[in-house]
Amino acid sequence: MPSEAAIPAGAIPEGLLEPALTVGRVTPGSLDDQVLAFPETRPPWKWYLALCVTLTALAIGVGCIGYTFYTGIGAWGNNSPVFWAFDIINFVFWVGIGHAGTLISAILFLFRKRWRNAIARFAEAMTIFAVICAVIFPLIHVGRPWLAYWLFPYPNQRALWTNFRSPLLWDVFAVNTYFSVSAMFWYLGLIPDIASMRDRTTSKLRKPIYTVLALGWRGAATHWQHYEKAYLLLAGLATGLVLSVHSVVSFDFATSVVPGWHMTIFPPYFVAGAIFAGFAMVVMVLVVVRETMELKNLITMRHLDVMNKVILAMSCIMGYSYMMEGFTAWYSMNEYLHHGFMNIISGTYGWAGWLTISCNILIPQILWFKKARASYFWMIFVAIGVTLGMWFERFVIIVISLHQDYLPSAWRIYRPTLIDFGILLGTFGIFFTLVLLFARVLPVIATTEVKAILPDSQPSHHGDDHHV
Amino acid sequence: MSETSYSVLGVFDTPNALMRAIPKLRVAMLGTVEAYTPYPIHGIDEALGHRRSPLGGMVLVMGVLGALTAFGFEYWISAIDYPIITGGKAASSWEAFIPIMFEVTVLFATFTAGLGMLFLLNKLPFFGHPVLSSKAISGITRDRYALAIEAEDESFDSAAAAQALRDAGAVEVEILPAPDRSPFLTSDYILRTLGGIFAACVVSGLAIFFLTKWFPLLAPMKYMQDQPRLNAQKPSTFFKDGHGMQRPVAGTVARGYLPTATGTQDAAAALVNPLPRTKEVFAMGRKAYTIRCEVCHGALGNGMGSLTAAYGGKPANLQAQQFRDYPDGKIYWAIVNGKNAMPSHAADLTDSQRWAVVHYVRALQRAQNAKDEDLKVVAP
Repeated sequence: MPSEAAIPAGAIPEGLLEPALTVGRVTPGSLDDQVLAFPETRPPWKWYLALCVTLTALAIGVGCIGYTFYTGIGAWGNNSPVFWAFDIINFVFWVGIGHAGTLISAILFLFRKRWRNAIARFAEAMTIFAVICAVIFPLIHVGRPWLAYWLFPYPNQRALWTNFRSPLLWDVFAVNTYFSVSAMFWYLGLIPDIASMRDRTTSKLRKPIYTVLALGWRGAATHWQHYEKAYLLLAGLATGLVLSVHSVVSFDFATSVVPGWHMTIFPPYFVAGAIFAGFAMVVMVLVVVRETMELKNLITMRHLDVMNKVILAMSCIMGYSYMMEGFTAWYSMNEYLHHGFMNIISGTYGWAGWLTISCNILIPQILWFKKARASYFWMIFVAIGVTLGMWFERFVIIVISLHQDYLPSAWRIYRPTLIDFGILLGTFGIFFTLVLLFARVLPVIATTEVKAILPDSQPSHHGDDHHV
Repeated sequence: MSETSYSVLGVFDTPNALMRAIPKLRVAMLGTVEAYTPYPIHGIDEALGHRRSPLGGMVLVMGVLGALTAFGFEYWISAIDYPIITGGKAASSWEAFIPIMFEVTVLFATFTAGLGMLFLLNKLPFFGHPVLSSKAISGITRDRYALAIEAEDESFDSAAAAQALRDAGAVEVEILPAPDRSPFLTSDYILRTLGGIFAACVVSGLAIFFLTKWFPLLAPMKYMQDQPRLNAQKPSTFFKDGHGMQRPVAGTVARGYLPTATGTQDAAAALVNPLPRTKEVFAMGRKAYTIRCEVCHGALGNGMGSLTAAYGGKPANLQAQQFRDYPDGKIYWAIVNGKNAMPSHAADLTDSQRWAVVHYVRALQRAQNAKDEDLKVVAP
């Protein structure tokens, strides 16, 4: 490879050479023609059909949320002692989905994993959309969302302040910071791509919009220098966020005294679970994207293979965490903890516990086989299983722990209502509506980043051109 | 330098050609050499002689500032202004502040990295740069690599620069005009506008704060605790004498307490009891008698109340012939004005209560001195 020209050919054994990042011949120009021209084409009827489906789901969700506001949150199944149920399950679920995007865009960037350039844009977009879905739930769970600004510390007539020692307030800061940082990261990455779209479009409508959004980006070397520095710094900062946001979410549970929540393993366990669920969602969406948008040469089978390996690794971490939960329950000799764990595997909701274990631990093991990692059927099967399993994992953690804690007189079976399911469906509608719109109006692949890693895209050893 | 030749742009086909041309052009000393590329080129900063980006230092400073801001804010609120004991820890315990300190650090650092890079270092947004309106721009953001020799002073020679670029291998050369520095196009202008808005907000906010402080009638926001009120055992500013509660105007009459029987007891003898003799009136009289009269005059009206034994006083025996012969008005006068050791009950009993008591006393007298015909009335 010419870009590796500094290393003499043959010094690296064939098996250790990094495989090509793209399939077939891709040049900067062909990349633009493939990716940036896409938003200017007319969407096919299938896209409109998909949009109709997601908008229907969205409308159902909006209706259910409206009904909740009209009647109060008694419309949900939450009741003593299960005060937290679908709302927090869905919040944790969606925040978790977002983590894959930040991991791909930040941590893999710091590790110089160059293959991540092709999928980073889409994954980052999914992060932002997932966080939007997540914040809906705390907002509607406060019951009077028009007073949700009370969550922020601000001087007020009541002379009251927020409690900075409450994990719920940490959540407010963590999620807001996460959203701001993700949005900033995403927009900075988009600027050079939007500049490319600005300079190639002939549409009178798009040109001024792209011009304003690109902020007059002109690709000057001095700008690139600061830009790369900023990108590196943002990657470093976002890396801290990947690890911190779901840790803070887990503090909501871990700092309480509820048996089944009060465990030190929760922060790493939650972070691993978040990455796990997020990668499953990214795999699911990317398979559809590469098939319908003709991006097979850029989002290659190798990408899917690597992501499936990450899913497999995370599945093993999850398996370890589940075993540690059982071990802690046994080793602590705490009868409440013991009872809580037995509830997961044999209680009223035991089916949910076993569904979680099978979807998250057993099914992903199929990915040990290379053929499964290369098969759409198996990777989609695993991804759907993991998404379902991770949703039920939060159900297990929240509902099973709450419905039977210390006082048997306070035990009660929790039953969600149709409204609960409607709102969950609605957030899926919001998420996929945003994904569909994003896929049509913005470049789904960070063309600038991919251009920089194409063969012949970098000067061979400071201008000493071997070809000449 | 003429208005029409601020810089000369040369386009190259490959990054290698670009990198080879840079040292040649820098040696020629015709002007500042700047590159325009579709993506960052490795090693171009050293070739162009750029200094290192100061962004890292800026981000570090702002990150530390973010941590200190969060800590100061949390500490002032949780330990000083609104201390709450949580988890049995001291109000000043700082350990639980760490998560928010971390988040605010990241927030400050991120915005410094992103906005500092765009606004402060790269001076974006700027829509008036000649490269943006050049013919080469659609290549620069696609797959072409451009070098510009930009004017440093009046002696800029665009023809020589164009020739130098051609000699260095440029496939196309374009002479560009000076940047359009119309104010609405530049980041400086936008920053100054934003700064102006911010300064105006600060100034007007402070002005409103002090105006409402000095001219309380204007106050748009008042704390409930700050309203004028009476504090127990404290002087009040409501009235000149410092008392919160004022004496009524002389001669003020309370409702239901119109002064009557103001003359002598004999003069009052002519008063007639206005109340009818009904069950309700007797019940009212009995209640008032029990509360106000019984302790001295006794339940039977015989002057043997419970206080008699304790204090050795001698209340009137209402069963005595003298009082049985009293007209109603004289008993009423005694209730209103008091007699001998007995105080006035005018403040305790309304007018109708006094007359009801008179009726009740008459009933007591008759009950203790019943005649045969009274029995006939009772037994049907």
